[in-house]
Amino acid sequence: MMALYVALAVGAVLFGVGLYGALSQTNLVMIMMGVELMLGAAMVNLVAFWRFLHPETYAGQMFVLVVMTVMALEMAVGFGVGTARFRAKGSVEMEEARELRG
Amino acid sequence: MSAQALFTGFFGVAAVWFGVVVFRTSSMVRSALALLFSQAAIGAMFLAMQAEFLGVLQVMMMATEMSIMAIFMVMYMMDPGGLGEMEMTHQKRASIAAGALAALAAAGVAALTDWGPAAAAPPAAEQTERLGAEMLGRSMLIFETAGVTILTAMIAATAVAIERRRRR
Repeated sequence: MMALYVALAVGAVLFGVGLYGALSQTNLVMIMMGVELMLGAAMVNLVAFWRFLHPETYAGQMFVLVVMTVMALEMAVGFGVGTARFRAKGSVEMEEARELRG
Repeated sequence: MSAQALFTGFFGVAAVWFGVVVFRTSSMVRSALALLFSQAAIGAMFLAMQAEFLGVLQVMMMATEMSIMAIFMVMYMMDPGGLGEMEMTHQKRASIAAGALAALAAAGVAALTDWGPAAAAPPAAEQTERLGAEMLGRSMLIFETAGVTILTAMIAATAVAIERRRRR
């Protein structure tokens, strides 16, 4: 049971580090890295819950696959937006992206 | 402490350490490599927790994903080598506070909840077989939706990124 607590603690710290990155960075790619870390933390928790609490229910593993899909989608769409932004403005610095501000 | 907890903890500390390095280093290539190692350490944690299929999948996916990310980072960053010592952060104190608060809250819930006894893990071959049955049975709709969503995202990302030519 100790391993469950260890995994949950790691997931919590990893989520905190990812949140710090997503909030503090000014570059789109670095913000995406923070989000990747947060999703990684969510996966650690999901695997830990599946393994130690409900190993007979494979919906837990399925959920991890969905989170992996979300990570890949986030990368694809993020880089698509980044490429469009870079073509238009020559930078992916989010401090300069204020066009949508009301 | 069991060997499983020890290895889970070891790879967990590695994942957190490399996660911190991502935002500490000024070189973008090092930053991407640190994220790659962090995600690989998460994959190793899965292996330590006896989720073999997911562990191998995580390591394979992240190795390719982060290599692509490293190329994009070098392309898009103003100072990819970090030689200019550019400041690329904002609202640092608030971010540290938010991160620490989220980590403390999640760790608190994890530590204070009584999770009950740990269950035994099924053998690796059985896991893969039953996950396959789950994907092609009860979770078929989710699996198919994920596939269609990936296709949609691929088309959308290409459409957004493609260069528009002006009509004459």
